[in-house]
Amino acid sequence: MKQIEVTVNGKLEKIEVRPSETLLEVIRERLHLTGAKEGCGVGECGACTVIMDGLTVNSCLILAVEADGKSVVTVEGVGSREKLNPVQEAFVEHGGMQCGFCTPGMIVSGTYLLEKNPRPTEDQIREGIAGNFCRCTGYTNIIESIEAAAGKMSEGGES
Amino acid sequence: MQEYSVIGKPIPRVDAVEKVLGDAKFAADFSFPGMLWCKILRSPYAHARILNIDTSKAESLPGVKAVCTGKDFNGWTWGFMPQTRDEPPLAVGKVRYFAEAVAAVAAVDEETAEMATELIKVDYEELPGVFDPEEAMKPGAPAIHDYVENNQSWEFHMDYGDVEKAFAESDIVREDRFQTGKVITGYLEPPAAIAMYDANGITLWGAKQSPYFVYRHLAACFNLPLNKIRIIQPFVGAGFGGTKNDSVAGDFCSVLFSKWTGRPVKFVYSMEEVLTTARRRHNMIIHSKMGMKKDGTILALQQKIIAEGGAYTAIGPLTMYLTGAMTTLPYKLPNFRHDAYRIFTNNPVSAAMRGHGVTHTRFAAEVQMDMMAEELGIDAMDIRFKNAVKAPHETINRVTVKSCGLTEGLETLKNTDTWKRRGKASASGRGVGLAAASYLGGARQLGHQSCAALLRLCEDGTVNYLTGATDCGQGSDTVLVQMVAEELGLRMEDVNIKRVDTAVTPCDPGSYGSRVTILAGAAAVKAAQDIKGQLAEFAAREWKVQPEEIMFRDRKAFIKSRPDQSMPFGKLAKIACYSGSGAVIMGRGYSRYGLERYDWDKGLGNPGTSYSFTAQLAEVQVDLETGVSRCEETILAHDCGRPLNPINVHSQNHGGTIQGLGQTLYEEFLMDEGKTRNPTLTHYKMPLSTDVPRVEVIDILTDDPDGPFGAKEASEGCIVSTPPAVVSALKDATGIWFKTLPVTPEKIYWALQEKKKQTKDK
Amino acid sequence: MTTFYRRLSEFEYLSPAGLSELWEMMRGTNGTGYRVFAGGTDVIPNMKRRKGEVPKTLIDLKKIQELDYIRYDSGVGLAIGALASVHSVARSCLIWEHYPALATAAGKIGALQIQHRATVAGNICNAAPSADTAPALLALDASVRCASEAGERTIPLKDFFTGPLQNTLARGEIVTAILVPESTAGPGSCYIKLSPRQSLDLAVVGVAASLAALDGRCEEVRIGLGAVAPTPMRALTAEATLRGAQLSQENIERAARAAAEECSPRDSIRGSAAYRRAMVGVLTARAIRQAQTALTSGETSQTSGDCR
Repeated sequence: MKQIEVTVNGKLEKIEVRPSETLLEVIRERLHLTGAKEGCGVGECGACTVIMDGLTVNSCLILAVEADGKSVVTVEGVGSREKLNPVQEAFVEHGGMQCGFCTPGMIVSGTYLLEKNPRPTEDQIREGIAGNFCRCTGYTNIIESIEAAAGKMSEGGES
Repeated sequence: MQEYSVIGKPIPRVDAVEKVLGDAKFAADFSFPGMLWCKILRSPYAHARILNIDTSKAESLPGVKAVCTGKDFNGWTWGFMPQTRDEPPLAVGKVRYFAEAVAAVAAVDEETAEMATELIKVDYEELPGVFDPEEAMKPGAPAIHDYVENNQSWEFHMDYGDVEKAFAESDIVREDRFQTGKVITGYLEPPAAIAMYDANGITLWGAKQSPYFVYRHLAACFNLPLNKIRIIQPFVGAGFGGTKNDSVAGDFCSVLFSKWTGRPVKFVYSMEEVLTTARRRHNMIIHSKMGMKKDGTILALQQKIIAEGGAYTAIGPLTMYLTGAMTTLPYKLPNFRHDAYRIFTNNPVSAAMRGHGVTHTRFAAEVQMDMMAEELGIDAMDIRFKNAVKAPHETINRVTVKSCGLTEGLETLKNTDTWKRRGKASASGRGVGLAAASYLGGARQLGHQSCAALLRLCEDGTVNYLTGATDCGQGSDTVLVQMVAEELGLRMEDVNIKRVDTAVTPCDPGSYGSRVTILAGAAAVKAAQDIKGQLAEFAAREWKVQPEEIMFRDRKAFIKSRPDQSMPFGKLAKIACYSGSGAVIMGRGYSRYGLERYDWDKGLGNPGTSYSFTAQLAEVQVDLETGVSRCEETILAHDCGRPLNPINVHSQNHGGTIQGLGQTLYEEFLMDEGKTRNPTLTHYKMPLSTDVPRVEVIDILTDDPDGPFGAKEASEGCIVSTPPAVVSALKDATGIWFKTLPVTPEKIYWALQEKKKQTKDK
Repeated sequence: MTTFYRRLSEFEYLSPAGLSELWEMMRGTNGTGYRVFAGGTDVIPNMKRRKGEVPKTLIDLKKIQELDYIRYDSGVGLAIGALASVHSVARSCLIWEHYPALATAAGKIGALQIQHRATVAGNICNAAPSADTAPALLALDASVRCASEAGERTIPLKDFFTGPLQNTLARGEIVTAILVPESTAGPGSCYIKLSPRQSLDLAVVGVAASLAALDGRCEEVRIGLGAVAPTPMRALTAEATLRGAQLSQENIERAARAAAEECSPRDSIRGSAAYRRAMVGVLTARAIRQAQTALTSGETSQTSGDCR
């Protein structure tokens, strides 16, 4: 067992972990933040996407011990019920989801994309979510949601 | 047209906020104190006799609480029909496909359970396997089940009119062999559940698309009455038919372990496990023969289907039924013969998937019709205008169409710029294609088929809505709430829909055959009307008018003739609930249809309540040097009667189209002696955002008389029309007809080489 | 496989802060049963699937700060430290400017989440025949700097791969950097990946070319091929065909045919040998033309978001 200190959604967590535990397992099973999902467990589906030290990563591919000293943001940390972030708001309004299983990862990838590039082209949006499978929506409404969020954010910035 | 307040509006999903916050709980998100983990041990052979299973080492591993094998289920098996119950929870006696479940472990954590499976020693005697349906049909092929001959799992025949006579009368007759691929639903949430067995019976929190199937399976398997089976439904990470419409080994084993240990037991499959072992779409060989007059009128169609069933029957008989019974739409077809054979092989089990049954035969018929039109020099659009059914219509096998927007859809597409590009750019590898399809909605079959709704009026005028219908992502909860709110004159937030709990919600057949909006919707409307009827009595008493005079709108009750006389809905609810000793207002309703003629053996009668129609354009760009192709654009002119929630309906159609695009250009399981060679999302190529076009949907409104608020199905029709539309576009781009799906880059490349060679030889 | 694992089996985790500590830790494991990793995007999935021998100890290089760099020295070339992520290479303006083939290849690996984590050195060490950066680095004449307790050595990349998923690293040796010499090609290098999907896919065939030309004559050319032999390879015959020749359509096609002939693809789930061979021909010609165009215009055909 190894003690790690990881900041999750702004809160410092001190946890004893086994080396074989993944960050995803720790987030879901120890911290009970079940937003990030395990779809494939091997870094393909993107449902477990979180932001670690400013970069999106598949949390299923990261050992919890590797997250020691890092800052992690999960879907639970990008917005709240009281205040959805613009991407979440746009997904609600433009139907950017169906079953909702890929949604936490999509929201995190979409949020990251707009942080890096507030006015992405359609192709850049497509690339920004290319690490996240969605089988329900065919991506059309997800892309439109992210476009809408970008639009809204830039409007907000100008006013 | 009546003006609705919530119906037809682009209202956000009722579960949208939960989902974007990551708050929506799926089966794998639950855990209980004292919970054990269940892990399945699977077969390393595709066909083998199980000689002995020694579980002693696994049992003695610290942390292991129980181990079970097939014999612990006492010979119980399940299946779609009494005579096809051939599938055990865990293999007994022999395994029939690679990675079939053989034994299971329950342990204090998943790591221990996984480790313990390695300690179970199974002695197998490998048997010769058969992996190709045409090989499996031959006399002398290895027998997979003892109860059938020549590995024939099921057969289904239809014979209407006189095809032989019609072929003789045809100006041209064409015969082709088509083939569809081995593909999978592709939901992202692997099957998962937590089971608890106690004095109250079985409770299962499970990722189930049709929980009432599992409820019956568990009752039968554990010999309990239905009122002791409680399936509680978390959010479901999509279904699309097949596995999540059925039970899996993990369900049975977890329940059994809970019964033995008294502790809750959880299992979660891995994606690789899903892609190796889960139900797939049937891959089929379709021998199609079509007869046509010079003017393009279709006179006859005869199709012989060889469907690979894999190792067990599952829902296969229904697949065979649908491949035939729905082929008589969307074109007038006076003579039709259909012979379908479902064949067992030692491959994973084939079952239902969105576009169930229809996608195969429609692909064949659609492409063949285009090939013949081409021979006759008739335009692809014109041949469809010529043959498209128009409402009202009754097919030769008595499928009745009351609304049909196909012709209007085709006209809409004909006027697009996309269609105008057809035939213009093949030198650059660009092509435009067209196809059409129909799909049943509100599936009606034999057995229990009614949906129900139970509305409980709260004293403040809000409503609790209980339904047995499952929203596995399609958005039905939202649409059902819209219907209740519309009918009661309430707002969306006044109606709270509960997820399925079989101990509380009324029985429902399940989410398949595009049935929820239509049938659960019909039940919801009736239940709301029931509430209105009861409340109207109280309002009428207050106002001293007849109950028929009372109307409900804008959260208020009115007197029809005196619209200024109104009272808030909440106030009326309070009056009703508190007057005298107090009323308890509950509305109930269930969907039903008459006992019209329906012949399962002959494919006669309506398999659905109503029928959607889709006309679709697809535009592709083919790299003529590499064969890599891409769908750049697609437009659906889609008749779903009336979209009750345009965002949902369009999203369903976007998803169905892209799933269809997957099976046309990208996806296919590559098999080697029963073993799946590409069981990962890297190698099984479901499209990503960078591979697909935006899907455009144009609604063709037809307001079906049998739909709630005119609605029909959405998304199963477009997964049927997408493959032929894309194949037609590939033809426009390359000059080549592709008759085998999927049309991979390599297939396109070799076909182009062959064409080049032939041109040279000429 | 008869059990589909979701969990990793137990192992010991070590994360040295510097190379000397690393050597010490390696010694501590007595040379057996350990595995060194950086990004983990290949190592962790393989361990989950119980693919290959499950290591008893995982040694994480990520705390060795001295390996985390991308350095470009004019006249010398590029050095990519073992910890430099695929993403940082794909987004580096310097690399886009001087080695567009490499930046392109890095941007084609997996998807963003993988690129954030994976390293170029890891992509090379994993030694998959389809590794995207390998053909690009071969075409750029890269070499691999290896280190062990005994010292350092530098191996030309073309000698680094010894077979599918096999490299020439000795026990106790790691890759510390990928070195790319100053390019005479400048913008005239490119990488073309053929795969059914645009993202999260493996190359059916990958071709990289690096070209220097004067007045339409090929001064120097290197062609790297991926997924068409047991290891990523150089198309030496094709290069020889073109070197010193006019960059005419005919000569380019001759070189492409030579490349198709000298590769040795096999049938796999991603494509038949015959298709792959044919694609080497198509893509080699395209790559040379694309490099030629870039040379003429002085611009690369693709640029990353950060470098626009």
